[in-house]
Amino acid sequence: MTVVLTKKEKTWMDMVIREEEITRYMGNGRDFINDYEIWEKLKKNSNPAPERIREIIQKSLSIQTLEPDETAALLNVQDPELWQEIFDAAGKIKKKVYDNRIVTFAPLYCGNLCVNNCLYCGFRRDNKVIKRRVLTLDEVRKETEVLAGEIGHKRLIVVYGEHPATGPEYIRDTIQTIYEVKVPTRRGYGQIRRVNVNAAPMSIDDLKMLKEVGIGTYQVFQETYHHETYAKLHPEGTIKGNYQWRLYCHHRALEAGVDDVALGVLFGLYDWRFEVMGLLYHAIDLEKQFGIGPHTISFPRLEPAADTPFVQQTKYKVSDEDFKKLIAVIRLSVPYTGMILTAREPAHIRRDIIASGMITQTDASTRIGIGAYSDRYTEQELERQQFELGDTRSLDEVIRELAEMGFITSFCTAGYRCGRTGDKIMTLLRTGKEGVFCKLNAVLTFREWLDDFASEETKIAGEKVIKKELEELKERVSEKVYNKLLEYYGRIQNGERDLYF
Amino acid sequence: MEKETSTFNLIEKFNEIANYVKEKFGANIWFVELLGRRLSYVAGHREDSFLPPEVIYLNERFAVVSNEWEKIPEKEGIVKVLKMAIKEGKQ
Repeated sequence: MTVVLTKKEKTWMDMVIREEEITRYMGNGRDFINDYEIWEKLKKNSNPAPERIREIIQKSLSIQTLEPDETAALLNVQDPELWQEIFDAAGKIKKKVYDNRIVTFAPLYCGNLCVNNCLYCGFRRDNKVIKRRVLTLDEVRKETEVLAGEIGHKRLIVVYGEHPATGPEYIRDTIQTIYEVKVPTRRGYGQIRRVNVNAAPMSIDDLKMLKEVGIGTYQVFQETYHHETYAKLHPEGTIKGNYQWRLYCHHRALEAGVDDVALGVLFGLYDWRFEVMGLLYHAIDLEKQFGIGPHTISFPRLEPAADTPFVQQTKYKVSDEDFKKLIAVIRLSVPYTGMILTAREPAHIRRDIIASGMITQTDASTRIGIGAYSDRYTEQELERQQFELGDTRSLDEVIRELAEMGFITSFCTAGYRCGRTGDKIMTLLRTGKEGVFCKLNAVLTFREWLDDFASEETKIAGEKVIKKELEELKERVSEKVYNKLLEYYGRIQNGERDLYF
Repeated sequence: MEKETSTFNLIEKFNEIANYVKEKFGANIWFVELLGRRLSYVAGHREDSFLPPEVIYLNERFAVVSNEWEKIPEKEGIVKVLKMAIKEGKQ
């Protein structure tokens, strides 16, 4: 049964989209996704010669964004041995740009009211089984106290439906509320140091408002780049039905001065190879117009959601084998970008992909029900959630596993707090210098977390990883820098917090 | 329009001072805008040594950052010039 919009909702919706803030970025009245061209390139680059693939791999290893024909060639590789070379290169690229660390974060869902009606989403407005809720600021505070004070996260991605109750002013207020929270911990204090936002496309003025309160990354997924599929899944008359308003929201963010933007596709809506090409074209257009590419790329796969039959009906489900391939191709295509693999995926998939070394960020202790962290429910409740999580393991458990795999978990937020963002960080990423900062800050933030939150078992595993990282850093940085690191490390062990390079 | 012009002039001034520091002392400084927790890069030199950054606040909106302040004996004088430039930019 169709839910009727209220007058307030309709009035609000009419004011959201600003045509001029779409057309100013378009070339000759067209957007940068040419569906026909993408398919032509995929066809043209079928059966690529191994020598060509190896040349492309070398280009990626030098941290250069690929051309669409190059990505199309990678997507057409059939030989399993050549795929292994691609996977190996993907791991090397990540190590070169970001070193050995994996950053962790948690999602915080603040509201599931939505004026849109996307066929694949549990939160679509016509879905009556979902319990609707918007957190008050006090509830946001309570959620943050658990996240920062009990679990130990330092970075959040805060998620909102598109609705007047959770519009830009609410988003601004929640960001400020989250940043205000400070909770005593075992040896120091817990605090969220970076608030990233996953929300609807906004105007330049609204994005400037979020910039003023210190937004981290602005993350909006196109869902699918295929125009026809997009139109089928996002009903006409909804705000989300406007493909180009969504497509150019990162351009608007960069123009507003929010220089960390994040892309993503919901894999399973259309052909995965087309979508990887779409992501590349998106990154290229951002680089072309602003000199800055995406801070991160995400690749969620469709998951079951309460009363959302579309998920079972789609013919574009991505197999586990293809999932690993698409991640690797994204890694090679946009070699400087961060890559996020979330707890949507079950533990065994995350383990396998993370072991390949391609990923830079992951979440844990994740709860996606509205108010779920402070409500402390342990079983998933689909009527509170946008979809079903695949991996509900705790942060402590995931960190221990990462440590046993040789990865250090990082809670770093240094870059955006000392101006290493935007086109400044692009140079550092491409030259591999940012990786040294990543390594230094991983050691410091991991030390904080081990001292404040780790179980005994995880602490043992974590200490081994820290020891190895310190040994590597001693060889890698100057004596002056290393001594500074040891000084900061000692001060953190004595209870000081938030020291960074 | 006037605000945009004065910000543009300020960025030019920032770059001029960053270049001076680079040439005279071989040190990198860069300028940031203060936005909540975010210090957003505005102008100056992009290369970094790996020492921790030290932020010197110029006013409620801007700061200057370096991880090589010890290389810059004229640090106080430079900060003074920057503060004056910001003040002039506001008028």
